Amino acid sequence: MSSVNESAAASGAARESMLDLHEIQATVLRPRPAPYFGTHVLLRIDEPAAGRELFRRLTLHIDSAAGWWSAKTPWLSVGISYAGLKALGLPEDSLQSFPEAFRQGMAARARQLGDVGINEPKNWDAAYGKGGVHIGVQAFSDSEEDRRRMLGIAREQIDGLSVSILAMQDFGAQPGDLNSLGYKDGIDQPAIEGSGFDPLPGQGLPIKPGEFILGYPGEAGFPLPMPQPDILGRNGTFVGFRKYQSRVGAFNRFLQAHGSNEAERELLAAKLVGRWRSGAPLVLAPDVDDPALGADAQRNNDFDYANDSRGRQAPFGCHIRRMNPRDSKLTRLTDVKIHRLIRRGTTYGPPYDPNALSEADDEVPRGAIFLFISAKAMATIEFLQQEWINDGNFIGIGDERDPIIGLQEEDAKFTIPRDPVRRLVRGIETFNVLRGGEYFFMPSISALKWLAGLHQ
Amino acid sequence: MATQTQTAPQSDSGAQKIQQLRELFADASDVGKRALENVIKELSSQVSEPPPPIESAGRVGARLGKRSELTMIVPLVPGGAKRLRTFLQLLGGNLSPGATKVGTLHDMRFVFIDNDTRLLFATSFDGDWDTYIDDFIALIPDYLDLMDSAWEGWPGIRDPGAKDYLVKHQITAEGWFVANPELTLAEIDRLKRIGKAADEFLDKVQ
Repeated sequence: MSSVNESAAASGAARESMLDLHEIQATVLRPRPAPYFGTHVLLRIDEPAAGRELFRRLTLHIDSAAGWWSAKTPWLSVGISYAGLKALGLPEDSLQSFPEAFRQGMAARARQLGDVGINEPKNWDAAYGKGGVHIGVQAFSDSEEDRRRMLGIAREQIDGLSVSILAMQDFGAQPGDLNSLGYKDGIDQPAIEGSGFDPLPGQGLPIKPGEFILGYPGEAGFPLPMPQPDILGRNGTFVGFRKYQSRVGAFNRFLQAHGSNEAERELLAAKLVGRWRSGAPLVLAPDVDDPALGADAQRNNDFDYANDSRGRQAPFGCHIRRMNPRDSKLTRLTDVKIHRLIRRGTTYGPPYDPNALSEADDEVPRGAIFLFISAKAMATIEFLQQEWINDGNFIGIGDERDPIIGLQEEDAKFTIPRDPVRRLVRGIETFNVLRGGEYFFMPSISALKWLAGLHQ
Repeated sequence: MATQTQTAPQSDSGAQKIQQLRELFADASDVGKRALENVIKELSSQVSEPPPPIESAGRVGARLGKRSELTMIVPLVPGGAKRLRTFLQLLGGNLSPGATKVGTLHDMRFVFIDNDTRLLFATSFDGDWDTYIDDFIALIPDYLDLMDSAWEGWPGIRDPGAKDYLVKHQITAEGWFVANPELTLAEIDRLKRIGKAADEFLDKVQ
């Protein structure tokens, strides 16, 4: 996504922002650098005073979104869970002003999220889902050296405080920034009105900022309810943190079973996502990959489905058509603009290996941790999980689920529309298994200072 | 207004249920008693192997397979019945094609009761009703308010209290029949298309 930065520099398309960018945390608006290197740190506050002291120290090092479109790395950001807000000693009336799903936490919402079976919280990594995660710190940079430096800064702030590190996960450093299934990712992000930057071709009409940042009008014309007091809520947002492990062996076995040669397998891999591994969209490159197209941020997202209304290029059930149906005909009255998320995908573990075929390869710790950012992240993630990921009814394909991030049932299938008759591919498995999840509130810079000063 | 679903008394066998039925009808009219005896043999097989029971559709309402029902009785503002009735009559009492666009509504009915002071509204639809409520607010808020403004105390669909208003006036159905509970509207449309395509294919090969 550094292509955004590059194109901004090239075209000078930055505009005056309507948002208080100095208040909003950098990670909300600033794209991943390219290449990207980073670390997630999950913390538990063991004493309320230590937590407040940590916020006092850390706030000085948290970057804002000011000038987010120009490359400016590295940076740190921070989110706090409901358990974390309690551990800091937030007053009860303020705690109760947070949305119900946030207060319950992601694990407790497993039913609404469809996180069942192999994805259910009891199968998660030890740190997650038990109310122990209070704070999530993210370090982003464009070099390994800077990653270490930023992590060092974060650790210095923790030193000597009654705060425990529950988990640390380095991410990025993948050849070509490919994800753990071997695709370029993070291309299509929602355009946010007034954020100070012209949308890239294909990003669609800008969406009202209140859908993504608290305190601004949303698509319905008014701001969403904000956590109270005002200084705590305004310019903050919510983050759905979801850790997936990619079952690379199962994915490769599936491609092997349904493609007799490299070209067939790569076409099938592209059909599942709606893009070739290079990022080139099938709608613009239906038959063969076009790496130059995939690499060009001015062109690789510049399409709609007007000429693919029958899914002959991008199948209805492919990953990107589900996550942003654009102008696809949907079976239900739907406003696509209110179901979008800002995504910060962070790939961890060894790079994708096309020759990994064994079941042992499925257990290699590699995958992605996503930060899904929105002013109503909890409601949007639940909607997406129920309607667009683990169902196909919304786009007229019955029970089929997202082939990449869906939780598959026995003998799941994937329909590839074709002339004269469709191809039905069986044997889709859960290729990305959920290994943990938390909801965080990502406060404004002023709110971080306010939290640090609680009870003073 | 929302009433709790009474759980049926548990019984171990069909015979016990038959016994229960007889006790239940002990103080019924002769017509009722006679009718029970006429069908009791048939009923005994039905109660001993009952179909899957209806489930809850979230906070309130019943769900069967992929279909949910919503039944409401709401008080009307003075003049509300006249306005809403005339509005419906202007559309010939038929709410398509507007309602068709929602894509999840199987049916809706508006019945004025109690001398036009209250409205019985009943509908059935795919999924949970609040999943797409934000879409309604974004896309068709005025159509909803046009009709719901006849309801006493309706805060407006954009008001955060709108969901609570609906829940407060909803009454969960105790019994409900759906012929094809697994078929959503989208699935029905797909089957229609397949049927048509199959006919065209057969025409061509003749």
